[in-house]
Amino acid sequence: MKSDLIDIQVESRGNDVEISLSGSLGFPQFSAVKEKLAMLVDGPGCFFFLNLQNAHFTSDHYIDFFLELLSRVKSQKSTLILIFYSEELYKYFERYQNIFEIYETRAAYKKSGTKKQLQQIGIHYGSRSGISLSPSVAVSFLALMLGLFVTLFIIVSIQGHDISDKQAQIIALQNQKERYIREIDKLESSIGPLRKLGVIQDTTMLSSFGLIQDWVGYLEYLENTRLEK
Amino acid sequence: MKPVISIVLLLPPSTAYEKLDLVAHNILSGMSKMLESGKVRFSIFMDGPTLEAANRAARPLMFGRFKRAIEEDYLEILGGGYHDPMLPLFPSELQAMQLDEHRKLLWKHFSIEPSGYFNSSMVWEMEMTELLEKNRFEYALVQESALQDALGRTTPVSGWYSVEDKGSFLRVVPVSESLSQAIENDDFQWQEIAEPYCRGGKTAVVALDIPPKPGDIVPFFERLIDFVETNDLQTKTVSSVVNEQSSEGRISFLLSAGRRIGLPSKAKTCRELLVRRPEVNLLHKSLLSLFRRADANLQGKEKQEFFQQLLPAMSPIFYRDLPSGEGMRSPMVRWWGSRFLLKAANQLAEMSSFDGIRLEIADFMLEGRKLIWAENHDYSFMLDYFGGGVLRILNTKASEVSMLGAWRDDGEPALGFMDFMLPNSDFSASKLDLMLSDREGVLCSPYDYQIKRHDDGTDIQLLSEQHFALGEQKGLVHVGKEYGLAAAGSDFTLSYNVQNTAFAPFKGFFGTLIETSLLACGEKKGGIKIDGKELVFDFREPLIYPDAKSVEIHDKTTSSHLRFDFEQPVALLVAPLFSASASAAPEDIQGVCLFPFWKISLAGTEEQTFKLSAHISKR
Repeated sequence: MKSDLIDIQVESRGNDVEISLSGSLGFPQFSAVKEKLAMLVDGPGCFFFLNLQNAHFTSDHYIDFFLELLSRVKSQKSTLILIFYSEELYKYFERYQNIFEIYETRAAYKKSGTKKQLQQIGIHYGSRSGISLSPSVAVSFLALMLGLFVTLFIIVSIQGHDISDKQAQIIALQNQKERYIREIDKLESSIGPLRKLGVIQDTTMLSSFGLIQDWVGYLEYLENTRLEK
Repeated sequence: MKPVISIVLLLPPSTAYEKLDLVAHNILSGMSKMLESGKVRFSIFMDGPTLEAANRAARPLMFGRFKRAIEEDYLEILGGGYHDPMLPLFPSELQAMQLDEHRKLLWKHFSIEPSGYFNSSMVWEMEMTELLEKNRFEYALVQESALQDALGRTTPVSGWYSVEDKGSFLRVVPVSESLSQAIENDDFQWQEIAEPYCRGGKTAVVALDIPPKPGDIVPFFERLIDFVETNDLQTKTVSSVVNEQSSEGRISFLLSAGRRIGLPSKAKTCRELLVRRPEVNLLHKSLLSLFRRADANLQGKEKQEFFQQLLPAMSPIFYRDLPSGEGMRSPMVRWWGSRFLLKAANQLAEMSSFDGIRLEIADFMLEGRKLIWAENHDYSFMLDYFGGGVLRILNTKASEVSMLGAWRDDGEPALGFMDFMLPNSDFSASKLDLMLSDREGVLCSPYDYQIKRHDDGTDIQLLSEQHFALGEQKGLVHVGKEYGLAAAGSDFTLSYNVQNTAFAPFKGFFGTLIETSLLACGEKKGGIKIDGKELVFDFREPLIYPDAKSVEIHDKTTSSHLRFDFEQPVALLVAPLFSASASAAPEDIQGVCLFPFWKISLAGTEEQTFKLSAHISKR
């Protein structure tokens, strides 16, 4: 069985897919490697890391296949990075070192340039979504979005200030109201005994029309108070 | 002439898991009594956890008295592995770490470096010569029977012999098994047994087991003092025997399968256990797999820290075919073992910042064929695509439990999703259980695998032609079996596409067997629910539940929960799994077996699909 010939590992996380080959890879394993790698790169992922550190190639057929794989990955607008640091493998890929991107570890590639990787992600998702933007349009779109966000933020913060001012006014007015109520209560309590004695007539009751039953009496009262003045 | 005896005292490894502080306290009391008597010289081996517990339990100045006794040659503390492992089973880096950890502990508490190596399982292989010499050991204690085999004689062997391997040299001292047994059993003929060992002024070495129960320890030491005093025996430490006597000869090849590991007497090496018991083998290979992965991915201090996590899983208790807390027949012991490894696996995932889906195709079991290891953040499983697309391991990461760790009667491993094609007839539950145990109608032809990566996860597609024979009737179906892994979450799906490739129609049942190790230890009541309702199950007789849409097993002891949801209603067999010692202890349950099965009716070239989803969580 072809698939029983090779040790292979695939780890997918977000945009990164790391495929590791290990063991001795000669001609008998070639078709299995070809089949499995083609199957694994045929899926989501923007960065395909091919870890060959633990692999030992005993046939030169693999070089051509890796070139094929590189063009296949590129056609998917993804990128293929070879991972190894052994001298033996550097020698194996000697002639094509300028074509392949070779790094010692995945972390080393990640440190090699954020701009390059962002661009790659842009190209990748551009091809997947069918939307492609030129850098200037992307920058102006980004600036526009940024501007919108800043404006939104300013509006929200101004409104926030307004709301807090209003809240402060409401609180002040409520305090004032409470103070007045307290003062009225105090005044009422101080004139309470006088009212009981009949020294003071409670005029506040008269302000209420609900309590006025004798309109003639009321008009006479108004007339008297006017004459007194 | 009175025989001269060298006494080696040791603790069985199972002690390390129960009341260790009390055990250590009583051992120290016993040792003090022996030294106070002034008549007994002895050697003792304590593994790392026991030494740590002894340090906690020791009274002031006690260790000082022991140090003086060591200087005066009344006491010898033997070296070995920190967890007393059978070293030949493990990679040399882990072997060295075990020896190094134990040596450091002896230096810390007693300021000594041990010259003698002891392993309570008494396993020996020639490669250990180099390892022990590198770790500055001068001699090792081995089984007398192994030396007799090497020398080609059946007469008693005593004194010491030399072995060499790859330019390294070591002395080996035989421990007399018959004399040890005679003294342990208070055999009055012990002097006659000892006589040939002590001929010519030689010393017989005996190994005596300290009882594992705390209450029996001090009386054991008192009986030993009494035995030495009554018989007016001369005793020596093993190191003084080696120093005083000269070599009895050279051994060209020495091999010992060890003792008390559940192997028959004819077994030649401890590796035999890995061949005989798949559960032990699985734990061993899981440890090796973690070791290799860490070795490839981690560097320096981080790597050493991780290897430390693997050391407890090397304890001999996990490599013994013994029941009731002494070996892997006990579900509790299997749970402890897998918990150590899963804890280490979780740490490795954290160290390598793993988050996503990982698939690895490699020869994990070291048996010459590849298996697929699949894992995400919540679970991991090992898929044997070559052996019928079955799961050999199903681990839940949160509760650190291996869900397929049941122990089967016939020495076959417990599996998950083993498919069966059964004839179209009425089965009683016990008849069906028997058919499944006998693997009648099993679909186990090799599959070819395809890995399909997509935005929501990864699918492992298995395709194969499966032959089956049901009595006289033979059939051939094309089975597509697909495991669907989600990038996040604790679910995976399993879909089947079964196509009748023959012209003749076929009617019968198609089902898949899951042998879980759940509900084997602790409380079982209310552990199984079907369609959300508690199943009345006595854990003795199997039963068939018709038209189930979901089944869940909730193991409170291991805090794990497994649920299967079926797309179409399914008949479900629920059966208990009993251990090999079932006849002696039928209540010794090892797990629960589930077998959902669907009615299948296929005309020529017709196909039918089935689907279930598994949900694994911690509760």
